[in-house]
Amino acid sequence: MTSDRLLGLGTITIALAYIAGATQIQIGFLSDPVGSRTFPYIVGGVAAICGAYIAFRPDQDPSWPNSRTFLRIGLALIVMYVFTQTLKPFGFLIPAAIASAALSYLISPRPMMAIAAGIGLSLGLFAIFNFGLGLSLSPFGRYFSG
Amino acid sequence: MKFYSRKGLMAGAVAGVLAVTGPAFSAECIAPANPGGGWDFTCRMIGKIMYDIGVADKPIQVTNMAGGGGGLAFSHVVNERNEDAELIVAASSATATRLAQNAYAGMTADQVRFLGAIGADPGVIVVAADSPYQSLNDLLDAVKADPTSVTFAGGSAAGGFDHLKVLMALGRAGFNDVTAVKYIGVDGGGDAITQTIGGHTQAMTGDMSEVVGFLAAGEVRVLAVFTEDRVPGFDDIPTATEQGIDIVSVNWRGLYVPLGISDTDYRKWSDALAAVAASDEWAEAMVANGLAPFTRVGDDFQDYVNGVILEIEELSREIGVIQ
Amino acid sequence: MELLANLSQGFAVALTPSTLLLAIAGCFLGTIIGSLPGLGPSNGVAILIPLAFSLGLDATEALVLMTSVYYGAMYGGRISSILLNIPGDEPALMTTLDGYPMAKQGRAGDALVLSGVASFVGAFLATVGLMLLAPILARVAYLFGPAEYFALYLLAFCTLGGLASKNQAKAALAAAIGLGIAMIGLDNQTGIPRLTFGEIHLMDGVDFLVAIVGLFAVSEIFMFIESHGRNTAIGVKLDKITIPFRDIVKSFPAMLRSTAIGFFAGVLPGAGASLGSFLAYMGEKAVARDKNSFGRGNPRGVAAPEAGNNAAAGGALVPMLTLGVPGSGTTAVLLALLLTLNITPGPLLFAERPEVVWGLIAALLISNVVLLIMNVPMVKLFVRLLSVPPWILLPGIMMVSFGGIYSLSGSGYDLVLMIVFGLFGYLFRKLDVPTVPIILGILLGNNMEDSLRRAMVISDGDWTYLFSSGICIGLWIAAIAGFVAPVFLKNLLQPPKPVED
Repeated sequence: MTSDRLLGLGTITIALAYIAGATQIQIGFLSDPVGSRTFPYIVGGVAAICGAYIAFRPDQDPSWPNSRTFLRIGLALIVMYVFTQTLKPFGFLIPAAIASAALSYLISPRPMMAIAAGIGLSLGLFAIFNFGLGLSLSPFGRYFSG
Repeated sequence: MKFYSRKGLMAGAVAGVLAVTGPAFSAECIAPANPGGGWDFTCRMIGKIMYDIGVADKPIQVTNMAGGGGGLAFSHVVNERNEDAELIVAASSATATRLAQNAYAGMTADQVRFLGAIGADPGVIVVAADSPYQSLNDLLDAVKADPTSVTFAGGSAAGGFDHLKVLMALGRAGFNDVTAVKYIGVDGGGDAITQTIGGHTQAMTGDMSEVVGFLAAGEVRVLAVFTEDRVPGFDDIPTATEQGIDIVSVNWRGLYVPLGISDTDYRKWSDALAAVAASDEWAEAMVANGLAPFTRVGDDFQDYVNGVILEIEELSREIGVIQ
Repeated sequence: MELLANLSQGFAVALTPSTLLLAIAGCFLGTIIGSLPGLGPSNGVAILIPLAFSLGLDATEALVLMTSVYYGAMYGGRISSILLNIPGDEPALMTTLDGYPMAKQGRAGDALVLSGVASFVGAFLATVGLMLLAPILARVAYLFGPAEYFALYLLAFCTLGGLASKNQAKAALAAAIGLGIAMIGLDNQTGIPRLTFGEIHLMDGVDFLVAIVGLFAVSEIFMFIESHGRNTAIGVKLDKITIPFRDIVKSFPAMLRSTAIGFFAGVLPGAGASLGSFLAYMGEKAVARDKNSFGRGNPRGVAAPEAGNNAAAGGALVPMLTLGVPGSGTTAVLLALLLTLNITPGPLLFAERPEVVWGLIAALLISNVVLLIMNVPMVKLFVRLLSVPPWILLPGIMMVSFGGIYSLSGSGYDLVLMIVFGLFGYLFRKLDVPTVPIILGILLGNNMEDSLRRAMVISDGDWTYLFSSGICIGLWIAAIAGFVAPVFLKNLLQPPKPVED
């Protein structure tokens, strides 16, 4: 109940913000009969109505995990974010190894296996991407290759 | 670890298939759009010929960097690759149009060096074969009499190059109410011509290369080509100028390089481009793709681009696309 | 007879030991590219174009390689859809709906074999259609103007009512979210950015691959962490792999119907493979008696979208070859390849360059047969993926997703966006908001808006233009009668639902 009410309220808030954003869309000198703002207004409106409906007629709450599990999901998010930010400066190999190992550890807390998985995945996938598919991933990034 | 070793095997097998290649490319050509468009063609074709005729010792790697109508690649070059001597970037009239209309978030044409153009796609106005409009003036007169009676279809958004060509032609014919002209931007010239043959729109504005096949099949009539002289191979298509509408507009295909490279490197690239322009392979590619010869390389080209940008800027301000 | 002569000429060009080898290599590579989340057929073909040049392939060989990669990726997309609930690419989206439930029931092998056969049927018949009807079908594209396209997209969105499981409001919300995301970026009509907040990365809008990978692959990792691996297909005890003849026979009519729908969607340049598989699935569900079993592992729900999307891939070659109009990202890349080989598609291609056209058709037939032969035995290999321990598999999925998206766009921005999509995907899945309509909204939203706005420009704002042709009216009737009305009349038309277990 509560979850859906929150979802509904969140949706309404975002939909209103979206409509507010849409009022700021520049109209060019050559405007067509429908215009640039109509569709965003309609979409925002439909979303707000759905949000209201969901808030008033909520489904049963899903079974949310306990706080420990939430913590682990949060950690996984952080691992992914750090990975995206280190990929450019440090290249693929080292960030990928660390991120895969960390994620592996979050799924199954056995350090040695996690490290092995990290190193293996990093090297294996680098080989597949670069030599197999011809995609150019930088192995070490600008800090190491100079 | 069973899975992993299998993946390794797979990678080995794949690598075996592709053993001839490797990521050992040196020079890079950025096509600022997804594969399949004109910029992509420019990079792939010029890159291929440079390697084939031996002015590049390794194949030139093509990178597609779509975003912001070329703006993402432009800012990438300006901000991150300004001294990269091994980089060329595909450009066309659309690049100049967007720079003139300040569509690249404040970046300007003098932040890169234009290298050269080695072909041009003449602008055309096309109607379906069964259309009542027989000449450019028939069509323009119809718009003048009742702007709602004609919808133009083109491959660029409103205010883009294809649209501007129509407005310029109408302006030369004495019709200046630009907001009354009906224009729809569709997904490329091929789409625009399909809509016109289908009778959903009355005329198509685009480039010669986009209509060649339909012209040969007798599905369309080209009312005018926007070149100074008639295009070789299409001698029965009149120019706009000879019909009294003084407009010359071609979509050139060319390249720019980062501003920070040395004059030696700039000359190395412009010599390579000139060699491509002179090659038989390029001549063949131009014929197959409906391009007209248009070779301007080096500083001469830089002057030309500056002139074009000024002209579009003026026109865009005149009709209100920019303030 | 002329047809057979043409075809044998095509095979003479396309069937040599070296091209056969290329076809096998291409099919294999394509299958892998297609099955990796984040890499789809258009990337596959684009990646391999430089390869075709550096190998010094001639026109026929290059075409054989490209078409086999194209179809390989179309076949491959289903693998991760079925096994992991992660669509390998956007046309494989609908296959997750029934394929993944089948895998959870231990029938992953059946689902893979069945979808492989369905892919073959769709692709093979589409090639036959291309061969017999291309010049005639090319004219169909002329019939579709903005009003007709708008009605077609409307039909697609109306069918969403039939997709939603329990809560229609949540399905509608999901579609609105997708549409809302689609509006971000340059307005195709005016060229002015909308809702980008000055961010240049958003100028071209949100890439649907980023959304798919985020909503499906990244959120799957969170789901797994939460559930400790319960309620997934990973580690499920698999049935012995046999060829599911009964399912194949039972869903064969579904394959044929879906092939027709998919092929038609493919022929229309504005529609494409995703719409083909979507309409095929919804159409099959609409005519089925056992509607409730769809979404819970109904074999026909696996066969229909796979036949549909592969038929659409074949159909999309019609406008590409006869009009030079690419109907999808992949055909755009193939078109670029043809142009670089100095082959200009257009109305005269069939007459002027028969060796190219018939060589291509022969290449398509060859690669489909190769794929069928390759895919059925490889099922045994694919399903082993589910016995990989999750502490290797899930980080692997994450790395493949991130690496794939990053190596193509080179943009860290897309990766962060992907994580955001992943987080929302997790929340939506918990709250029972379906994710498929979000992707559909992103894929089709701009097209729908553009076609409406173009129609209104042409008609000077006269709404009756939307019903101005027989095609329009037919599509509107199909949308309303087939999909909107049943939602409201559901209680009257159907016996009460059996109690769910």
